[in-house]
Amino acid sequence: MSLFFALSPLLVVMVGGLLLMLAEALGKPALPAGVNAQGTVIDAGLGRMPELALGAAVVLFAGAIMSVAVWLVGPEKIGGLEAVAPYLLIDRFTLFFSFVICLSGGFASLLAGGYLPEHGIERGEFFQLLIFSAGGAIALAAAGDLLSLFVALETMSLGVYCMIGLRRSSPRSAEAALKYFMLGSFAAALMLFGFALLYGATGHTDLAGIAEAIAAIQGSGVQGSAAAGVLLGLALTLAGLAFKVSAVPFHMWTPDAYEGAPTPATVFMAAAVKAAAFAMMLRVLLGAFGDERLLSWGAGWPPVLALLALLSMFVGNIVAGRQESVKRMLAYSSVAHAGYALVGVVSALRSPAQAQASVMFYMLAYALSTVGAFGALILFGSKGKEAVSYEDLAGVGRRHPASALVFSVFLVSLAGIPPTAGFFGKLYVFSAAVDAQLYWLVVLGLVNSVLGAYYYLKVMVYMYMREPRPGAVLAVPMNSGLVNAALIALALLVVALGLCPSSILKLASAPLP
Amino acid sequence: MGALGRAIADFWPYVGAAAVGYAIPRRDNLFERLSIALVGLLSVALISGLWRVTPLEGAEWPHLLSWIVFLPIAGAVAVLFLPRQTPKLLQRFTLGVLALDFVVSLYLLKAPMTHGWHFQEIHDWMPAFGIRYHVAVDGISLWMVLLSTLFTPIAMYVSFGSIKKRTKELCFAFLMLHGAMLGAFVSMDLFLFYVFWELMLIPMIVIIGVWGGIEKIKAAYKFFLYTMFGSVLMLAAILYLVWTHKQVAGYMTFDYLALRRLILPETAAWLCFIAFALAFVIKVPMFPFHTWLPDAHVQAPTGGSIILAAVLLKLGTYGYIRFCMGMLEGPAWVSGATLGWVAVLGGILYGALCAWKQPDIKRLVAYSSVAHLGFVMLGLFSATRSGMEGAILQMVNHGVSTGALFLLVGVIYDRRHTRLASEYGGIAKVMPIYTVMFIIVTMASVGVPGTNGFVGEFMVLMGTMVSDALGKYATPQTVVASFGVVLAAVYMLSVVQKVFFGPLNNPKNEHLQDLNVRETVALAPLIALIFVIGFFPGLFLDRMHESVNGALDRYIEGRSLYLDHRGEQVAVLRGLRGGPLEKGYPKAPGAEEAVEAAAPSEGTTKPAGAAPAPAQPAAEGAQP
Repeated sequence: MSLFFALSPLLVVMVGGLLLMLAEALGKPALPAGVNAQGTVIDAGLGRMPELALGAAVVLFAGAIMSVAVWLVGPEKIGGLEAVAPYLLIDRFTLFFSFVICLSGGFASLLAGGYLPEHGIERGEFFQLLIFSAGGAIALAAAGDLLSLFVALETMSLGVYCMIGLRRSSPRSAEAALKYFMLGSFAAALMLFGFALLYGATGHTDLAGIAEAIAAIQGSGVQGSAAAGVLLGLALTLAGLAFKVSAVPFHMWTPDAYEGAPTPATVFMAAAVKAAAFAMMLRVLLGAFGDERLLSWGAGWPPVLALLALLSMFVGNIVAGRQESVKRMLAYSSVAHAGYALVGVVSALRSPAQAQASVMFYMLAYALSTVGAFGALILFGSKGKEAVSYEDLAGVGRRHPASALVFSVFLVSLAGIPPTAGFFGKLYVFSAAVDAQLYWLVVLGLVNSVLGAYYYLKVMVYMYMREPRPGAVLAVPMNSGLVNAALIALALLVVALGLCPSSILKLASAPLP
Repeated sequence: MGALGRAIADFWPYVGAAAVGYAIPRRDNLFERLSIALVGLLSVALISGLWRVTPLEGAEWPHLLSWIVFLPIAGAVAVLFLPRQTPKLLQRFTLGVLALDFVVSLYLLKAPMTHGWHFQEIHDWMPAFGIRYHVAVDGISLWMVLLSTLFTPIAMYVSFGSIKKRTKELCFAFLMLHGAMLGAFVSMDLFLFYVFWELMLIPMIVIIGVWGGIEKIKAAYKFFLYTMFGSVLMLAAILYLVWTHKQVAGYMTFDYLALRRLILPETAAWLCFIAFALAFVIKVPMFPFHTWLPDAHVQAPTGGSIILAAVLLKLGTYGYIRFCMGMLEGPAWVSGATLGWVAVLGGILYGALCAWKQPDIKRLVAYSSVAHLGFVMLGLFSATRSGMEGAILQMVNHGVSTGALFLLVGVIYDRRHTRLASEYGGIAKVMPIYTVMFIIVTMASVGVPGTNGFVGEFMVLMGTMVSDALGKYATPQTVVASFGVVLAAVYMLSVVQKVFFGPLNNPKNEHLQDLNVRETVALAPLIALIFVIGFFPGLFLDRMHESVNGALDRYIEGRSLYLDHRGEQVAVLRGLRGGPLEKGYPKAPGAEEAVEAAAPSEGTTKPAGAAPAPAQPAAEGAQP
């Protein structure tokens, strides 16, 4: 029983997803007789989007609540976890990430409840895809073995591929889905190849076993093929990980996929998938390659990640500053944010515990703010006209002050200006990096946050200080209770997390795997 | 007599001022009469508050500063929930909050500003990081707080006269800005300081960008990017200091009192100094980082310019005193002479020359700010008592006179929508009251004896002349800076001559309306202050004496510690002296022994295996 309790975040989400699928399949369409005006049979979800969205949100928030519950009980006090170890490790690390994933997934489905019917994408499977993908993401955060890790990764990704392509009338959506699918498969293949090499070199698929084997290799002085296999495996795995967190130069898919996807899918990708990817990265790098040789500046992965972090920050920020479309800008900015979080990962150089805690907090802060920012974009568009470009937002601050204020809160948080969650996340990451004596990385990272602040400010400038061109088609904000509720809750969370992050900090810095 | 008689004796000035305000003719609206009466009453309260130092009964009330800081912030949040359709209500509410805040802040004057921190309030905020909510004032920040609580209501009041659109956002931005500025002035925790420092950015950008002139967006970006760039480097330095403190003392804290005990190795000290100084120098602004200022000033609405000049720029100079001179004494001292030249040549002279050549009056005033703040910075670099006191007084003076000048420029801009001096001429004939006011403020700005500007500049020059820190440059810098005073007269008087005297050629100027009641009311307290400071500078100087002395002692001591420590590779902590300057020192978590009474041997705390600590500072005991 205790094992079920420990696995409850995952179980609640998965079972909830199945139930929702049944409910959608067996439920009657809201429109009479299941046919539309032309007489063709229509999707059962038609007209029921808000209910489905609410159902999905309930499932995911329940997952988040269960994560908190297990946390409060304390996973180390729950017996019987060995039964699933090392395939699924239920520890505080997993629980924290499953909380972040469920929270952002839940908000994404609330946003979808407003977005999908508004833009005529009334397809009920969106929510199941989202929930199962979130389940995959939770499993990914929990995976302590290369096999379960890969399965979880694919579970998560498959759902996302489909969600991206769901806007079937739009060629951009199809392009985005195809691009993400092709590149994603390619990256997965690279990673799988890396895993195979690791297995060949170490004889283990579980991360702890790999770590032991690596220590043994170096200890015994057998340098030849085993060490080469480990290094090659590490390099390939790193490439796969970098792809998943969309670090430069593996970011090419990001802007297209983010832009082409229906915005709620983008929300999910930018927040939940990214959080899960960072969980995987931390787990693999610190779990399997946390050896002191591999974790050193001279002979290990930190310099590689530091380079990726720098490239991501600079390329992400500079390119984001040149975008015409806000959605694409946010996509590039998510690349830059991956860079900041990577700075946190690199800080594992001296104090892995603090580095891990900082990345965890950063992902929470970033997930909330980015969900909010995309959510605000959803809010500003309505039937037939999505708000995507800066021009669409011109004068919004005067016409819709409350919505603009909420959007500004998210932007300020993404820019890392106090008193918001984003600021504290950045502070934590950079203080971890100072602890690791990576001063140059800190300075360059902070300079980057000025670059970043520029384009977030640009959105605010358009909202508050510019008026739309005469005769331009104005985007009308949609009127959806779900979206409004999600945004208000997110804004409050972002500010609250900025003002009193103590409790969450304590959670993030609690015992590590 | 009895109690009634005493009450009358105590309160007649207030009642009188209120009655005079109430009785100003040609006001039909009762509310307007009452508010003018209130302004009169408050001005009297300020001026009499300056004189009266009755020792407080009992202890200082510790929550006072929190009230001062969070009253406007709470007001800003409340404004969000007030209806947008009722601008009058919003305006009255905002002015009410600001007036209340001003009254509360006057209570600060009741405490004799003895050595050490006053009205200190400390709470744990994020114990995991050693971040505390720690606010306090001393004789230096006291004036900054009062400057803000005085100027924001004035700026707000003026803004309501000229800005009619989007009142709700205006109220929100001003209240938020006000709270953030006050918070930055009283924060004694570097994290808290940084939070408030950044919190100021967005409201100010909104003020410039929404209600500004034609090039407002460019100016807003420029302001934002300059400030942000400086402040992120400061954040990096803060993190470094915190980390070093953790290495040396074994626990994490962001507290100013703890971090300023660090004596860093040479390179680190210099890098931290540069990071901090850059943030503040950009804010001041000093040459060559001053280029955002004219744009921001010219584009900002009048109210925004007043706040920017009167208070926001002071954050740069205040930050320099508090953080550069207070924490990184060594590099601050060593670079003082060089930076002194920058202040003299780039600020005082170059600023004045630029001001002289500006056709736009507002731009002229903006450049004159650069020159005035050059004096302030020079006084700080001189590191003498009169130099520093002069500099702090000059900070107040600059706020008063430049704030008033922006207000006055705003007045004619509202009437003619141009600020080009050449558009005017002979205005004195149609706007006599305005002219008198303008000339009084000009005199203050130029530094004519009897006005506030004279006292400040004179003290700065006196301090510069005898300065050790400036070394052999003391005399030449004083001489060159004195030219600045002459140049100030040249540019200010030439604009006065162009605008007010000569023939009234431009027909558009023939029917200009003189100052209205709103503008007069806003100006009156400033004019009063010009003379109060001019004739009774002691009121201000007395309250800053002990804090300035304490700061200077630490500065000089810190510099010699730094020089002794220069060759070392690791940071150490300087000894605790005890005494009021270290009240509220953050203890290590878990360690409960009284740190207040610590012996100087504490100063040897250092990481294992570190080089021997430098000579300990003699235990000099607490300053009286």
